[in-house]
Amino acid sequence: MNLAICLLLQDDHEITIEELETRYNTSVTKGLTSTFASQVLERDGPNELKPPKGTPEYVKFARQLAGGLQCLMWVAAVICFILPVFMVTSAFSLQLYLAITLISVVVVTGCFGYYQEFKSTNIIASFKNLVPQQAIVIRDGQKNQINAHQLVVGDLVEIKGGDRVPADIRIISGQACKVDNSSLTGESEPQSKTPECTHENPLETKNIAFFSTTCLEGVATGVIINTGDRTIIGRIASLASGVGNEKTPIAIEIEHFVDIIAGLAIFFGFTFFVVAMFIGYAFLEAMIFFMAIVVAYVPEGLLATVTVCLSLTAKRLARKNCVVKNLEAVETLGSTSVICSDKTGTLTQNRMTVAHLWFDNHVHAADTTEDQSGQSFDQSSETWRSLARVASLCNRATFRPDQEGVPIPKRLVVGDASETALLKFTELTVGNIMDYRNRFKKVVEVPFNSTNKFQLSIHELEDPLDLRYLLVMKGAPERILERCSTILIKGQELPLDEQWSEAFQTAYMDLGGLGERVLGFCHIYLNEKEFPRGYAFDPDEMNFTTSGLCFAGLISMIDPPRATVPDAVMKCRTAGIRVVMVTGDHPITARAIAANVGIISEGSETVEDIAQRKRIPVEQVNKRDARACVISGGQLKDMSSEELDDALRNHPEMVFARTSPQQKLIIVESCQRLGSIVAVTGDGVNDSPALKKADIGVAMGIAGSDAAKNAADMILLDDNFASIVTGVEQGRLIFDNLKKSIAYTLTKNIPELTPYLIYITVSVPLPLGCITILFIELATDIFPSVSLAYEKAESDIMHLKPRNPRQHRLVNEALAVYSYFQIGAIQSFAGFTDYFTAMAQEGWYPLLCVGLRSQWENVHLQDVQDSYGQEWTFSQRLYQEYTCYTVFFVSIEICQISDVLIRKTRRLSVFQQGFFRSVKTHPKHASLGIMYLNSQSYSITIYRVNSVSVSFQWWFVPVPYGILIFVYDEIRKLGVRRYPGSWWDQELYY
Amino acid sequence: MYKGKERKGSSSEWRDAFWNPRTHELLGRTASSWGLILLFYLVFYLFLAGMFVLTMYIMLLTLDDYKPTWQDRLATPGMMIHPKGDQLEITFSVSETESWDRFTQTLNTFLSPYNDSYQVQMNDNCPPDQFFIQEDSGEVRNNPKRSCQFNRSMLEECAGISDRFYGYSRGQPCVLIKLNRVIGMLPGKNGQSPYVTCGAKREDGDKLGPLAYYPPNGTFNLMYYPYYGKKAQVNYTQPLVAVKFLNASVNTDINVECKINSNTLEAGSERDKFAGRVSFKLRINHT
Repeated sequence: MNLAICLLLQDDHEITIEELETRYNTSVTKGLTSTFASQVLERDGPNELKPPKGTPEYVKFARQLAGGLQCLMWVAAVICFILPVFMVTSAFSLQLYLAITLISVVVVTGCFGYYQEFKSTNIIASFKNLVPQQAIVIRDGQKNQINAHQLVVGDLVEIKGGDRVPADIRIISGQACKVDNSSLTGESEPQSKTPECTHENPLETKNIAFFSTTCLEGVATGVIINTGDRTIIGRIASLASGVGNEKTPIAIEIEHFVDIIAGLAIFFGFTFFVVAMFIGYAFLEAMIFFMAIVVAYVPEGLLATVTVCLSLTAKRLARKNCVVKNLEAVETLGSTSVICSDKTGTLTQNRMTVAHLWFDNHVHAADTTEDQSGQSFDQSSETWRSLARVASLCNRATFRPDQEGVPIPKRLVVGDASETALLKFTELTVGNIMDYRNRFKKVVEVPFNSTNKFQLSIHELEDPLDLRYLLVMKGAPERILERCSTILIKGQELPLDEQWSEAFQTAYMDLGGLGERVLGFCHIYLNEKEFPRGYAFDPDEMNFTTSGLCFAGLISMIDPPRATVPDAVMKCRTAGIRVVMVTGDHPITARAIAANVGIISEGSETVEDIAQRKRIPVEQVNKRDARACVISGGQLKDMSSEELDDALRNHPEMVFARTSPQQKLIIVESCQRLGSIVAVTGDGVNDSPALKKADIGVAMGIAGSDAAKNAADMILLDDNFASIVTGVEQGRLIFDNLKKSIAYTLTKNIPELTPYLIYITVSVPLPLGCITILFIELATDIFPSVSLAYEKAESDIMHLKPRNPRQHRLVNEALAVYSYFQIGAIQSFAGFTDYFTAMAQEGWYPLLCVGLRSQWENVHLQDVQDSYGQEWTFSQRLYQEYTCYTVFFVSIEICQISDVLIRKTRRLSVFQQGFFRSVKTHPKHASLGIMYLNSQSYSITIYRVNSVSVSFQWWFVPVPYGILIFVYDEIRKLGVRRYPGSWWDQELYY
Repeated sequence: MYKGKERKGSSSEWRDAFWNPRTHELLGRTASSWGLILLFYLVFYLFLAGMFVLTMYIMLLTLDDYKPTWQDRLATPGMMIHPKGDQLEITFSVSETESWDRFTQTLNTFLSPYNDSYQVQMNDNCPPDQFFIQEDSGEVRNNPKRSCQFNRSMLEECAGISDRFYGYSRGQPCVLIKLNRVIGMLPGKNGQSPYVTCGAKREDGDKLGPLAYYPPNGTFNLMYYPYYGKKAQVNYTQPLVAVKFLNASVNTDINVECKINSNTLEAGSERDKFAGRVSFKLRINHT
């Protein structure tokens, strides 16, 4: 679907009014007839954007149940259901339990994920503006106010300053009508709307006002040409749904991990299948072993761990104003390597503010900080007083009433952006402007228009004895200068000669070069004789002096960057993340802001800069010399995707200005082609396709439109770019911590599996039962593995490059091998030591145990002899088996305590990281408590977990192995730290 | 764009992953790399195995050769009957010799160590109704410990001496009951020996008929206790009780439960059907 083509087909802005009337069967004076309007309403449907076709709730839920890990667990559960069919013995219920547990784990974690999504959707919904919009429509020659969604094509509507444009409108007549198109195109400058067709592209022409934009001032009448989803904004919104959702990096990681697990499970299962066949088991029995091993290999607790870790981080982010819609997005943010940021509102404060003044031949910097904490300029000069008076008086903006308590920069103002900026500025510097204006009674005013490019007003003086009138004027600096003959320097009126003109030009150019909007100010005291009190000033004729004025100064305004943004951009830079600015604004403004916040760093030059410096044509400049690059939408249109890729590759500092929504999407795609993981910020409806295409779309909570929020994965509640950086930090941390959590969770898989393997091959009584395994996986070990999610970063993660998704895997070979074959092996030995101890101390020597299985498990044998000649009934043996389960369980837990301590760090020594700092706050104690309760609360667990209370000293048998794990890992970390890049580092650092 | 492409691995990539002829890598490692890592694991596992053997050795050193460290699982000794089939069923037809032949043969075999001649030769004739205690004097083991005689003839009618067929040929079968050996167990006090009583379960009460117990009263005499373990008391003879069903109903299933009555042993838990009791099914077919 190509937006540009769609738009070109429409020529409503080019045809004459008469043609328009016939096309829509309307009249530009009387509007539609009510009956016809209702017919059209019937035909076209109401004038509202259909909510994006939301995924049905059950699909959302089903999606939560169908991830990589979930599938693994489903397969395991199915095997559990199939197994009893082959098994004749009584283990049926056990398999059933296992299957049910597996399924409930998937469902419970699924609910968890679904709840998270649901909750954030609610947060988004709360932003929706529920007040129905009203519109003034002329039908049957009568003016009516009706609900905006009842408007139809052909309706004649009136809009005035402050209204939202109710549909796409062809302007018929207008007076100084200005529209804020920022939600559509991203331009922060108001666009004036006039009846003339000025451009063949409907987006550029001045005679069309678009649905959902805001009319800032003036009035206009127009004929509706598009309603509802057929409006430009509606089409963009539907464009978003055409963009497919991409898999998140963490989902890819988990898939990769599931591949590893499944591969290992089948490998183990098959190996022991062969071994079992070799030993002489029947084929069916060996097959059961095979499937049981595959099931035993599924890390049941991992899904819960990952879900909980991600939710915790999501919660932490929410406190920092980042609401995450999709849990996996948390980690995606951490692997982000490019951020395509909007300018207006995200990097900047989204309010025009006076930035610089030029008077007395000096450029003075005003305070642009949000909280007025910056330095002010010298206000002692007489010139400043005059300039301030002009700025205060020649201003039509007023504060909305009843805002005494609100800090001045936050007050609501009626008026356009630059007048608002001036009003706030004068209110801050002069104080109480409303009162001040009252003292200088306004006699007449000429509002700004595009031909004059100035605005003037005439006031009586404050001093009642002084009967002169004061004329104040502001406007485009060059126009103002034309009308001036003198200039005010240090309170003295000096003739405006060549020298001063040049000084003015330099200042004007400088300020303009900063991307600021510059206004000139001048005044004159009208001659008392010529213009006595009561003189009839005529604003149309201008029967008064408008030349030979006295130039007071220049004031320039800009939408200043947010205070926290330069720091945040700096942080991104050190973190190896590129920040690319994509804006609809003018290239010069965009560049100025980019330079201001550090997106273009100091000393970086564009190709044009180099050309200018070296005085050579642009074509001769080596593009690789230019770090920075500003590309406008027009240039972008002529570039092929290869050229764009080249530009992105060659210039680390990129600014895209005057871009259209489609182009934003192209930029994102280009970044992704270069292998980057792209975060995109946006607020307008126009951004939603890019938000969706991006690996992580970040919408703005305050300024963002619903469409943007729907398409995004994350929402910044405070619209602040710096919050993204926090998100990146958290995302990177959770990646590291997930690694630790997974390493911890995986380790115990081996001591859970080896008992079964030994049981098959050596035929000892089963050392560890499957319900006990589930208890470890889903009860005792969840807390410690989640506690690792709270671990502090080992090094300054914001000084590292973003992870390369192809090289730095979540679960790499080293991690799996180290967990399984080293720590897991130690744990297995610990378990078997404790197992054989418990057996021997009860009378079954290790050598007797070997090969004992068939006798031990024979239900009909009630007098099996132990090593001392005592005879045991089946139940007594079973009870002993449960003791073994418990003892093995205790061993795993003791080793896991050691394991959770070593997993706190991957490289640093645990002592360097702070051993006890976080231990206190960890839920680890809870798990210890649970373990203790478990093994002591005899009556509960005997039935449920097949474990029994065990002698106290069996808790101490695995302790040497626990210590071994700790010491061994410290040695490993020491080697890794001491000899980076060595064989040791390569093989043992995960 | 890394997305998607990753999983497309063509077959040549897979082959390369297994054996890469350019780098001479088998499964991503060169020969020397494999050698190193295998050496590492060899050392690692040897160390672990060494540690395992060491801890096992230390653990075995702490064990007492004559008495297990814990006996908490054996508070109530199990009981067992002889002869027994797989399902604890004694079903036979009086008239068909083959149907009970195997029972009598098992009993013959089982009782052969109890032959009077053998017992007199190996074991002591102990004073009855008191524990036969043979304490060690401190570190000096009083080994081997002697055992008391349990003569086959003490089973009288069920000894298989006077009646070679243990009553099976006449529809009055004998069933032997033994109590599991537990080291150091003292199954009675005040000179009262534990004794066995049998009864029918539930509605089978009237089918059972009179029973005869041998030795008289179905006691396990105290002199056979305590047991000192198979190492110290090599010739220990486990006492037996024989139950003879004198007039059990024929052609019907009778569920019999025998249990031990003692003033020291705890009653077995509900979960263990063989602790301190034993149940079996008796069916005598007679045409």
